[in-house]
Amino acid sequence: MKNVRVWFKKDDECRYISHLDLNRVMIRAIQKSRLPVWRTEGFNVHPYITFSLPLSLGFRGERESMDMRILDDKLKLDVIKVELNKCLPHGLEVFDVTEPKIKSGAINSAKFKMRLSTDDISVEELYSKFQEILSSDEILVDKKTKKGIKKIDIKEYFKDAKHYDTDHDIVVRVTLPAGSTTNINPTLLVNALQEKYAIEVYYDITRVDVFDTEGRPFE
Amino acid sequence: MIKSKLEKILLKVQKPGKYVGGELNAVIKNKDEVDVRFAFCFPDTYEIGMSHLGMKILYSLFNSKPYIWCERVFAPWIDMEEQMVKNDIPLYALESMDPISEFDFIGFTLQYELSYTNVLNMLKLGNVPLKSSERTELKNIVVAGGPCACNPEPIADIVDIFFIGDGEEVDLEVIELFRECKKSGKSKEEFLYLASQIKGVYVPALYDVTYNEDGTIKSFTSKREGVPEKIEKRVMMDMDKSYYPDNFVVPNVEIVHDRAVEEIFRGCIRGCRFCQAGFLYRPVREKSVDCINEQCHALCRNTGYDEISLSSLSSSDYTQIVPLLEKLSEWSVDENVSLSLPSLRVDGFSEDILSKIKSVRKSGLTFAPEAGTQRLRDVINKNVKEDELLDTCLVAFDGGYSTVKLYFMIGLPTETLDDVKGIAELGQKVVNTFYKAENRPKGKGVRVTLSSSSFVPKPFTPFQWEPQDSIETIHTKQAHIRENLTTKKISYNYHDADTSFMEAVFARGDRKLNEVLIKACEKGMHFDGWSDCFSLKKWLEVFDECGIDPHFYANRRRSFDEILPWDHIDYSVTKEFLINECKKAYENETTPHCREKCSNCGAMKHKGGVCFEKRSCMV
Ligand code: SF4
Repeated sequence: MKNVRVWFKKDDECRYISHLDLNRVMIRAIQKSRLPVWRTEGFNVHPYITFSLPLSLGFRGERESMDMRILDDKLKLDVIKVELNKCLPHGLEVFDVTEPKIKSGAINSAKFKMRLSTDDISVEELYSKFQEILSSDEILVDKKTKKGIKKIDIKEYFKDAKHYDTDHDIVVRVTLPAGSTTNINPTLLVNALQEKYAIEVYYDITRVDVFDTEGRPFE
Repeated sequence: MIKSKLEKILLKVQKPGKYVGGELNAVIKNKDEVDVRFAFCFPDTYEIGMSHLGMKILYSLFNSKPYIWCERVFAPWIDMEEQMVKNDIPLYALESMDPISEFDFIGFTLQYELSYTNVLNMLKLGNVPLKSSERTELKNIVVAGGPCACNPEPIADIVDIFFIGDGEEVDLEVIELFRECKKSGKSKEEFLYLASQIKGVYVPALYDVTYNEDGTIKSFTSKREGVPEKIEKRVMMDMDKSYYPDNFVVPNVEIVHDRAVEEIFRGCIRGCRFCQAGFLYRPVREKSVDCINEQCHALCRNTGYDEISLSSLSSSDYTQIVPLLEKLSEWSVDENVSLSLPSLRVDGFSEDILSKIKSVRKSGLTFAPEAGTQRLRDVINKNVKEDELLDTCLVAFDGGYSTVKLYFMIGLPTETLDDVKGIAELGQKVVNTFYKAENRPKGKGVRVTLSSSSFVPKPFTPFQWEPQDSIETIHTKQAHIRENLTTKKISYNYHDADTSFMEAVFARGDRKLNEVLIKACEKGMHFDGWSDCFSLKKWLEVFDECGIDPHFYANRRRSFDEILPWDHIDYSVTKEFLINECKKAYENETTPHCREKCSNCGAMKHKGGVCFEKRSCMV
């Protein structure tokens, strides 16, 4: 038995499915592929899979990963990729299967690409408002936690964000805390913009990569 | 176009995954390479529609023809509908994202009467004119099938073509005819006339109805020479040869029945007198064990489902149930596939069967005695005996079960308050049985749930002439059950009488109700099968504005010689048989099921199925 890490992209139609849905889709793909994957024991036996870091509904993911155990040690990793891809819906694509190098508990941050747009004001105006909010003393937002809603200041998280505007939207690249300790969802900034300027902001967010405590790409 | 507009709204609605398509096994074709585009609409949510077997069968069947592209359409939930209207997005099909107004056919499956408002609302959201007469070109042909098509009259002004009976052949014949008519430039009118010549097709626009002063029907006549007076249902007699998909669209988001489904037979031998399905789908036709086995295996392999449900109206009546379960376990165990058998009957509940079904959980048992006393069960011909039920409970309690659910109907013909009280008493007897079980689970109390729905008289049943109890009477009966409960071990819940009332109105409605539905649609009514949306008050207002009395349809006793709105539809079961069954009901007399004795219902004319099975003489 060996552990493998399945790397996939989540995009297009599958952008719109929740983490629970993703779990179900993956289990069915494994079942359909008939790959020798270790199953949980007990009443409802199903392939045992764990995801490194859940992705919010609506986000695209370019380097998502899921771990599972393969019963046949000799099975080529490439075969797993090919067979799973035959069984996945449009919008989910396995691009690599590797042996895990880093524990998923070591995940510490994630890099996002955000595209923001609105129908309410021009892109230039949106961009100047965006810059204004980033340069204000604090950016207070409501964050849902287990203990209820908490006010937090997200200014420092976005201080290194890179951004520019295009003809129709603003592009932002930012690395935010992610993992088992702190998670900062990039939509918090979207909410702040919407609230402060009473405009409706559309977002298209991609999680580009995930890093460990040392800042190394998760492998 | 629609796609880019959608991106802006999808993150504002619940479960956006159900509005984007892209599922495994969804069929994508090039629209320029097909002759006919069919929008298969389910007038309810994605989660419910995607669980529906009939839609899966027809979707795959249509798409197996290279010249047809069939796509799926569901009713957007309220939040999505609001966003679509606000952003000017017409109702679209999930495969191509094209608006339904671009389709040749817009087909609906009619599973329950309260979905009629959704049918109209979906057309409205698709910018398709509601009335057949307002759609003059040979496009957007609105067709409908399913059990409610047995009384098509309440939506006869909306729908161009109804399919009566099994759809597998007749639908394709009509689509093929359309293809020819389109090629040869025929008008919609000509197409509809030619379609009416196909067996199983009902074109309401080709008939006239006149009424008596009291509102009953005076005459129902065809407008044109050669249009059939009676529309006979279509029946697939050879179920093994009948089309069955080897593949389902596998949803990305969770749906109600998220598993593979295999139909093991069509019809029901029982003849419970309240049950419409039991009469519509006669005669019973079984698939062979080998056929079921192969179909199940293919489905699991192609979908990745690890659960398969063996579906029928009464699964334990399948004659080869044990050999079937054995055959299936030859591969299902190794492939980690579990089997489930819904609609098991009390008298079919054997240990032999249970031991073969993995997924029968020890959490609960359900029974549907439907009535509280033996007398009333005889009236409705529900062959459940109290001692059998209690025996089964005893075995189950000894085997570790501790919760039981019992389903009943109230408002059944001839029902008295004593019959109603019998429901509470039966619940008590089940509780007592628990304490008789020596090996009952220790340290656990027994929990019995009694659940009642209100009886809705349906066309093509022996009770089609019966009045429905008034809402007040139903409330009295509900209260009577509650008052007769003496222990907290029994809980009682009931379906809302208001919705059953509306269901009864539309189930036996006539053409006058089209106006009511159109008005309801104008007022934005939809999702009436959902308590979130249903409002009796609103409905009564609509009826009032139309000057139509809903009680005329729900609460009136019809005489046997009245012309009923659905009399021109023929489901093979004769009216004489139904009248006879009704009279027997009044005498508390039961009718044996098809395998005990043929009662000559009329379905034998299809020359097959249970009517010609060898009967092992039951003594
Ligand atoms: S003809 Fe007889 S056997 Fe056939 S369906 Fe009717 S009652 Fe049953």
